[in-house]
Amino acid sequence: MSLCEAEKTFVLHGVEENFRVDGREREDYRPMELETDIVSHAFGSARLRLANTDVLVAVKIEVDAPFPERPYEGKLDFFVDCSANATPDFEGRGGEELAVQISNALSSAYRSPNVFDLRKLCILKGKKCWKLYVDILLLECGGNLFDAVSLAVKAALWNTQVPLVKQVDIDGNNINLDVSDSLSDCQRMDVEKAPIMVTVCKIGERCVVDPNAAEEKCSVGSVVVAVAGRKISTVLQTGTGSLHPVTLLECLTLGVKIAQRLDTALWDTLRQIKPNQDVGFLK
Amino acid sequence: MPKDHKRINGPEETVPYNLFTKLNTKTLLTKFEEAVCNGKRTDLRVPEEHRKIFLKSGIVSQAKGSAYIELGKTKVIVSVFDPREIPNRTDYSLKGEIYCEFKFAPFSCVKRRQHQQDTEEKQYSAIMKQALESTVCRHEFPNFQVDIYALVLHNDGSVLSAAITAAGVALSHAGVPMYDAITSVTLGIQDGIRLLDPNCEEQTLCEIPISSKQESSHGVIIVSMLDTHEQISQFYQYGCISVEDLSASVDVLKQACKNIVPVVQKCLVKHVLRTLNEDVED
Repeated sequence: MSLCEAEKTFVLHGVEENFRVDGREREDYRPMELETDIVSHAFGSARLRLANTDVLVAVKIEVDAPFPERPYEGKLDFFVDCSANATPDFEGRGGEELAVQISNALSSAYRSPNVFDLRKLCILKGKKCWKLYVDILLLECGGNLFDAVSLAVKAALWNTQVPLVKQVDIDGNNINLDVSDSLSDCQRMDVEKAPIMVTVCKIGERCVVDPNAAEEKCSVGSVVVAVAGRKISTVLQTGTGSLHPVTLLECLTLGVKIAQRLDTALWDTLRQIKPNQDVGFLK
Repeated sequence: MPKDHKRINGPEETVPYNLFTKLNTKTLLTKFEEAVCNGKRTDLRVPEEHRKIFLKSGIVSQAKGSAYIELGKTKVIVSVFDPREIPNRTDYSLKGEIYCEFKFAPFSCVKRRQHQQDTEEKQYSAIMKQALESTVCRHEFPNFQVDIYALVLHNDGSVLSAAITAAGVALSHAGVPMYDAITSVTLGIQDGIRLLDPNCEEQTLCEIPISSKQESSHGVIIVSMLDTHEQISQFYQYGCISVEDLSASVDVLKQACKNIVPVVQKCLVKHVLRTLNEDVED
């Protein structure tokens, strides 16, 4: 997407007047749709549509050995795939840089044990643990990928059912796991404090949240704030510009405020989801 | 982890022997208390004191510009090469690009590093690029790319900050047009104590929560600043820190970044004097 100078000025003036191109105010989000449990082969999944941005997240679980330096912890890995369906720019290896950026942001946001406790994924100290593969597929890009991805990941992890291990037999070096067959025995994970990322975008002199693709082009730089509970778990800057320390602190406070609102909205939505609800892309 | 089959790789699945030593049985709390004892750290610094810096430019003769930095035991070499046309690019870009490659030497950490870049190194490269993009006047070399390579020889904490500060010096040494001098500082927070420029052990201690209190913060913050413009060109944080702690830390980091600037300036002045002397001799 490329914008001419006049279009950029139009967007900039709109932000200044607190009346953006699509009629929103500076702190408003676009409408969102969330579905969970839509991939039957995955242990948990979610699809989030934020206006034109479409993200599909699926969680797969496998048994693995823990890292020798952290024997009591399971593993959590994020993989982002930028499908060329989203934009032609992602064709070949085009989306790789963005994918690495998003997955790194997620792994540092989920790094602290206060945010997401990996010790719950340990099966047998130093020998066996669960490894969670969180695969994120970007189906359509309409701006604000970080926020959409973090919400979808949180919903998918909430939806994830970790199989229940009934019994562990150790015979020399062989370890046999006896996993419960019944689906109702599965454990849900604690995602109460899983981080939500908010991209605060600086356009002109003002900060906006949830920028669309056109607004992203006009911004000089943006700050991605990952908020877990009432604390900040990760902050990173994206874009090419630099920020004054005062602006940065403004962005952080705004980010925390918005993230808490988003979190409440997400939990309200998740509670409303009933089992065996109609799901799918053609709904 | 992709493997490079053209090299002879070390044996797979090896474990550093340090994990088996007796020291490893200490709890995190005692380790932290030993690291910060009576307001003094193991190297006798007070918590908000930076380590001594050694900075030198022009140490790689083949590169256009280069710098070597030492923060205590941390040692990093950065070299910058001539701008070249952006490879594999069909369209014309109005602004020049910066390519950063951050690499740990295989022997630089406690655990042996592989020859290929892992995800941590890729992330650090991206952060370095972010920091330097707003420092360099990229409109001065459209459709060209400047390559910056950072190699860590010894990792004793705050490596990324060291690499960014050295990269700023190396870029000026290479004569790449820049807006300002860039300095970078790392800060670790644990249980209300702010440790400026943490060493390797302090940095790992700050990554995990020690106190069971929910309200105490822990984490690591890396900030790069442009001095005269008072701009933050890069800000990266991980852990779990409250907004109040974060804003207080930003002030500390701002001051710490300012304190390093004279070291950078002195290094550049030395380089200019050296070049002048060489010209006179010719």
